[in-house]
Amino acid sequence: MESAKTEDEKLQMFFDGELAPEEAAAVRRSLQASPEGAAQLREWEQLRVAMRSVSADWAGQIDSDALFARIEADLSAPVIPIDRPARTPAFREVPGGRERRVWGAAAIGFAAAAAIFLVVIASPTGDPQGGAPAVARGSEVLEVDFGANTGTIFEVEGGAGQSLAVVWIDDEEVGLP
Amino acid sequence: MTLIRHLLLIAVLFGASTAFAQGSSLARSDRAATISNVPAEVLVVLAKEEPGEIDPQLKKLTALRRPPFNSFRSMQILSRPKLTLTPGKDALVSLPNGRRVKLTLLRVMPDGRYKVKAAINRPDKSDYLPLLQVVASAGDPFFVAGQTYKGGTLVVGVIVDPKKTTQ
Repeated sequence: MESAKTEDEKLQMFFDGELAPEEAAAVRRSLQASPEGAAQLREWEQLRVAMRSVSADWAGQIDSDALFARIEADLSAPVIPIDRPARTPAFREVPGGRERRVWGAAAIGFAAAAAIFLVVIASPTGDPQGGAPAVARGSEVLEVDFGANTGTIFEVEGGAGQSLAVVWIDDEEVGLP
Repeated sequence: MTLIRHLLLIAVLFGASTAFAQGSSLARSDRAATISNVPAEVLVVLAKEEPGEIDPQLKKLTALRRPPFNSFRSMQILSRPKLTLTPGKDALVSLPNGRRVKLTLLRVMPDGRYKVKAAINRPDKSDYLPLLQVVASAGDPFFVAGQTYKGGTLVVGVIVDPKKTTQ
């Protein structure tokens, strides 16, 4: 159990870039030893790159000088003591609770995924023979070739408010008597 | 962001994408399996601008009272053939002016609507309507109008799966 916990913490530190270079290299080698581990490693690296990109974008939008000036002003302001009732912490750190939280979070994630899966499977598929179409109503022109005639496409409202397609084609061929 | 959050995010995204893919493929396979034959109806109406009677059977088809049809004061159903559309096979319907409407059911769209190809020939001349592709939901018509006939205008309505009419 202890070794599994250590492994989990090590993975987390590896992902967060907090491991020493030699330890990080060892974890990387260990992951690359199996296809699953290598795939996991690629996913993490993609995620890290994406996060860096987003962070860089956000950082570009922040006026850091103004932000630090405001922080310094707040720090240098006189401290006014306020009497407040002691608060009970919302969460309590329990030895061994970290591992339970990891698995609990993963379990919640998979439960959510399973719920989404069941909702999709159980929802009507819009079977044209058996049930009502899921979304669209009415009719719509996708493509029309008027040939030697001139024509116009109209939309007319049906009894249920749906849009119905009308193709109006003149019977006289263009350029012919 | 910590590893826990990443695991949670990956699990949810993976599950959602898997479920969506499987649900979509199931829906597609269901449709593909049930598309074999679809009933259809072709409504051939002679519309005239001179005052007259509107066929009582057309009363429910309120679209024919709206532009561009609202200039017609009389409407008479000339024929109302029923046919069966088979995917990829042409179905022919004769019009009173000697032309023929060719209808082909192409596929069922992901939203449940039918994709239909239509054409109307013109004997000894180039086709009156070489190609028309529409998507129509069950029971909702599409119209081809404009052919002159007996002092009036032919309005051809095509309704796929007419039992589900919403008009």
